[in-house]
Amino acid sequence: MTELSEEERKKILESAPVGTWALMIMVGASMVVGWLFLYYGVFLPRGMLN
Amino acid sequence: MTDIAERRLALSHMYVAFIAFILACFMGEYQVLERSGFISALDSPTVYFASVSTHGVLMAYVLTTFFIMGFGYYTATTSLKVPVWNKPLAWGGFGLALLGTVLAAIPLLLGLASVMYTFYPPAQAHYLFYLGATLLIVGSWVWCGIMIVMFLQWKKDNPGEAVPLAMFATTMNALLWLWTSAGVALESLFLIVPWSLGWTDTIDPGLARTLFAWTLHPIVYFWLIPAYIAFYVFVPKQAGAFLFSDEAARAAFIVLVVFSLPIGFHHLYMDPQQAAGWKMLHGIGTFVVALPTFLTGFTVIASLEIAGRLRGGKGLFGWIGSLPWTNTMVLAVILSLLMLIFGGFGGLINASYAMNAMIHNTAWVPGHFHLIFAGTTVIMYFAIAYYLWPILTQKPLYSNNLALVQLWTWFLGMSIMTTPWHVLGLLGQPRRISSVVYNNLLTLSWEPYELLMIFGGLVLLGSACLFIYQLFKTQFSNTSAVFTGEVEYAEPIHAVGTLPEYLNDIKIWNKVIGVLMLISFGIPILQFFFLDTYDSSAWGF
Repeated sequence: MTELSEEERKKILESAPVGTWALMIMVGASMVVGWLFLYYGVFLPRGMLN
Repeated sequence: MTDIAERRLALSHMYVAFIAFILACFMGEYQVLERSGFISALDSPTVYFASVSTHGVLMAYVLTTFFIMGFGYYTATTSLKVPVWNKPLAWGGFGLALLGTVLAAIPLLLGLASVMYTFYPPAQAHYLFYLGATLLIVGSWVWCGIMIVMFLQWKKDNPGEAVPLAMFATTMNALLWLWTSAGVALESLFLIVPWSLGWTDTIDPGLARTLFAWTLHPIVYFWLIPAYIAFYVFVPKQAGAFLFSDEAARAAFIVLVVFSLPIGFHHLYMDPQQAAGWKMLHGIGTFVVALPTFLTGFTVIASLEIAGRLRGGKGLFGWIGSLPWTNTMVLAVILSLLMLIFGGFGGLINASYAMNAMIHNTAWVPGHFHLIFAGTTVIMYFAIAYYLWPILTQKPLYSNNLALVQLWTWFLGMSIMTTPWHVLGLLGQPRRISSVVYNNLLTLSWEPYELLMIFGGLVLLGSACLFIYQLFKTQFSNTSAVFTGEVEYAEPIHAVGTLPEYLNDIKIWNKVIGVLMLISFGIPILQFFFLDTYDSSAWGF
């Protein structure tokens, strides 16, 4: 465990969670891409039910 | 605080939960083997459907209900710092639920209730099965009542103070369960029980399925909320930091509970008895539930990010490596969130009105719900058990390393088993079949996936045995060491001051749920009593 000064500690607690934002955007974007892939790449090419 | 009685109450519930769990795991492995057709000696549709019904009931109703009740009692007493209200009543609820479990188990094991855990009519079970299931639910209502009384008493005794987050979420879950179980209770009371006893000759499967759809989706959130409680109140502390936002957590629980209820028709997209408009309305609601899931993901990951940075992690993602991966709660939440991402994605496909047709009643569906329930949810049940077992038994955990191995193997086993399950669904393999050996090119192409599923199931079974072994060794080892730790709840970064009443009470949300349920289920249920024929209009009238 790294020893942090009180100032460093306060800075961490008050800073925006940029890593979390980045992860959430990546996950959200992956879900949209995955959904579009399944819709246009798998579902629609199968065509109408006979 | 001396809480011997509370510890005994919580432990008794968890014994039942985990005994049910391990029995169901053995059945699960048998089922994946039988279904593959690789071992012809195992082929038996009769045994298969008896097993799959028992597996579903044990996992979905017994493991969950008993775990949630036991965890809830201990959360209530430790977060509010008061004894459990009316312990004789709590034991009465436990006894009722246990009696119900035993009564339901008899016809299940005799093959007289092979109706799956969804028991959709016209499949009919012996009346003891329905009676047992009803008693289990009534026993759980006792728990709901006790949680709500404790919540309201605490608020009365501490006016203006914020109810501890753990108890707020537990009480919201009790409220959710009362609403959730009302659908299946109505179905049982007015349709299934009279029919199974021979008092009525016929049954309306459409109405029964509509009432079960009322229950079928929010029940998943009833199971999931204890995992979310651990996400918010245990994980940040175990990671060595703070909860990112107490208010965001409360908002997530509220939206989760309120919007998980009026959305069950995405289970009925292919059913003829409900009109397209209602299905669309419920489908939109289903996507709304993704919001609290994302909010939970954000808040929990932000809490972890703070913990990682406080431990020296730098850069955009450097904090991930700095997290205490050897802490069972932290490891479990990471693995749980990973499975939630993939399971959640599968859920979005299920909920998409058009695409649902592609995977409806295929192997995709059990693949999805195993990943969400047995993966995301149950791995957190393990972590909670590892955390609470030393506190409840006052013995140190037998082996932290063994617990880490168990969590990793559960994650790997679940990934190995559910990935081919999803693929098989896309390839068109139906669910709810006891055999796939038709010896044509299509079914032969399924075999490698079946083999993978068997292997994944074996890993899961081994992991489940490790879990039970760990709990057993913790409680019954000869060590003289005494564990004196207590439950520690995470503090938010910014202390919670005075909260608006809507973030600190359940009454307003109870009314909102009532209105939404009336809108979503009023006409769809009433139509069975005033429509003579099916209608082709968007809203059924």
